[in-house]
Amino acid sequence: MKTVTADINDVLIDCQSLWKVFGDKSAAAMKSIKERGLGKKEVLKEYNCVVGVSEASLQVRRGEIFCIMGLSGSGKSTLIRLLNKLITPSAGKVLVKGRDLAALSPVDLRQMRARNIGMVFQSVALLPHRTVLENAAFGLEVQGITKPERNKTAVAALEKVGLADWVNRYPGELSGGMQQRVGLARALASDPEIILMDEPFSALDPLIRRQLQDEFRQLTKALGKSAVFITHDLDEAIRIGDRIAIMKDGVIIQTGTAEEIILNPADAYVAEFVAGISRLHLIKAHSVMRSVAEFQQSAPNSDIASLARTTPDADIDELITLTMQSERDAIAVVDNGQIVGVVTPRSLLMGVKGPSAHDLPAASTNWS
Amino acid sequence: MDSSGFIDLFDEWTDSALEWVSDNGEFLFDSIRQVLEGLYAGILWLLELPPFYLIALIVALVGWRLVNVWFALLSGVALALCFSMGLWPETMSTLALVLTATTLALVIGIPIGIMAGFFPALDRFMEPGLDLIQTLPPYIYLLPAIALLGYGPATALIATVIVAVPPAIRLTSLGIRMTPKEFIELGEALGMTPAKMFFKIRLPFALPSIMAGINQSLMMAFGMVVIAGIVGSGGLGETIYGAIRTLDIATSINGAIAIVVLTMVLDRITQSAARLGTGRKS
Repeated sequence: MKTVTADINDVLIDCQSLWKVFGDKSAAAMKSIKERGLGKKEVLKEYNCVVGVSEASLQVRRGEIFCIMGLSGSGKSTLIRLLNKLITPSAGKVLVKGRDLAALSPVDLRQMRARNIGMVFQSVALLPHRTVLENAAFGLEVQGITKPERNKTAVAALEKVGLADWVNRYPGELSGGMQQRVGLARALASDPEIILMDEPFSALDPLIRRQLQDEFRQLTKALGKSAVFITHDLDEAIRIGDRIAIMKDGVIIQTGTAEEIILNPADAYVAEFVAGISRLHLIKAHSVMRSVAEFQQSAPNSDIASLARTTPDADIDELITLTMQSERDAIAVVDNGQIVGVVTPRSLLMGVKGPSAHDLPAASTNWS
Repeated sequence: MDSSGFIDLFDEWTDSALEWVSDNGEFLFDSIRQVLEGLYAGILWLLELPPFYLIALIVALVGWRLVNVWFALLSGVALALCFSMGLWPETMSTLALVLTATTLALVIGIPIGIMAGFFPALDRFMEPGLDLIQTLPPYIYLLPAIALLGYGPATALIATVIVAVPPAIRLTSLGIRMTPKEFIELGEALGMTPAKMFFKIRLPFALPSIMAGINQSLMMAFGMVVIAGIVGSGGLGETIYGAIRTLDIATSINGAIAIVVLTMVLDRITQSAARLGTGRKS
């Protein structure tokens, strides 16, 4: 994992070694984990407690969409609830905009939730006896904002998600995808800096899901919001996320951009996940190119200056197209007017296939 | 000591305890009686103020708004029938009894039910008591009431309230406990205060159940108010009880018809009000 070099003001959410242990004797179990290094199985056996999240650290930066990907039971839904203290951590710290959630008074915590952190749920949770408009304005109503004002804001939020014509309908009259848009509008209406998305699109059919994924990304970027997005679908995480954290058994096993994770999976578990992902649009020229010296060594007669040229950010799909159009079997990668590397058919094949699973460390077993 | 001796002792003890309460609590029971009779008299006065056709018309209009046209016509005609049988004053005093008793039962039952919904321990504690109230034959409550409050509507009211309270408590508590978890989470994520959570999330979701509780309380009250005819409640219960004693079958059937009309009209109206009050479904 890369160290965070950004300014501390740019980190909106900072989780430091978060733990959540569920059960009646969770405090004692937590103590034993810290002191004796108890594992998940022993905790269950000795204390009848379940470890939901263990030693999770992550930073969400301003303007970033941060995806947390994991299968069911991986602790991702618990982790996102720790971020606005819907669940209180057993150990560790959550700083939101530099403020420790544990140190906030109930009033301040409510303020923080109402103003700074929006949340969208998988179940949508629209009040069935209220219209779409009233649902979208619900957060503002809770904050005590007057009806004309909150309706104006809610209508604007509904316009952003494309539901301006549905304001006076009831949730029951809307399709699943539209209901989830109302959920998003409700979160956006309070104008929070951070939006927590708890598997919002998981229950939708694939076509609608894709459409909402793209719209969500565009909208979040256009409005300059930051988001934490939970999903069990790696495709979704790659489509939406600027960075992705992969969770398994309560542990974050890898954090990075989609390209970083696909090129360098941390262990066999991650490798297995990324194996099915199409790499064509994810792997860029700078990751697969060979150095100029290496290229000249293997092909001494080749004139580098006359090769077709491309940028370091060109993806494999573009590189293949270029290679097929070109008469030569190599492409020069140019950055700032300098040739920084050469992409050969051999490096393209490597890029498409990726490293084989045998070369990687086995799936981490410290928690299983 | 054989068992009959023990039972005799128990009975003696019960009797003397009741006597003691009745002797020493005279002031308390007198004031309870006055309050109950005052309430009843007030509601009865309101119901007897307009002529019968105005009441029938109001009921029909409400029925038309809440149920449908056919129900409205039918209920209007049925109430006119009560008048033509010469039972209008009795019908109104029965209605006054039921309304007074149900109102009291709800004033007691709904707050207790809300508390029980929040504190499962209270719910578990009350459960056997509520079971007992609901399984004992209802006229049991008339005896201690008559000993303490004497013959008259106050006794009928107390017994009726006792019978009508359990459904209100049970269904209110159930409604509060059944708030869907995701909406509690939504409320918390939106930064709601506990009070706002109650009024904006818990109560709206509990409303269908509370409404069902109100309807059930009302039905229990109707059942009891007829039985309470024995203790001089007045109204249709007493009419029927008197008719039975004199073997006046025709009058007892008239009284029964009037009861059925009143019960069905109120049942349908409160049920529809509950459906309407809880918003649209689907």
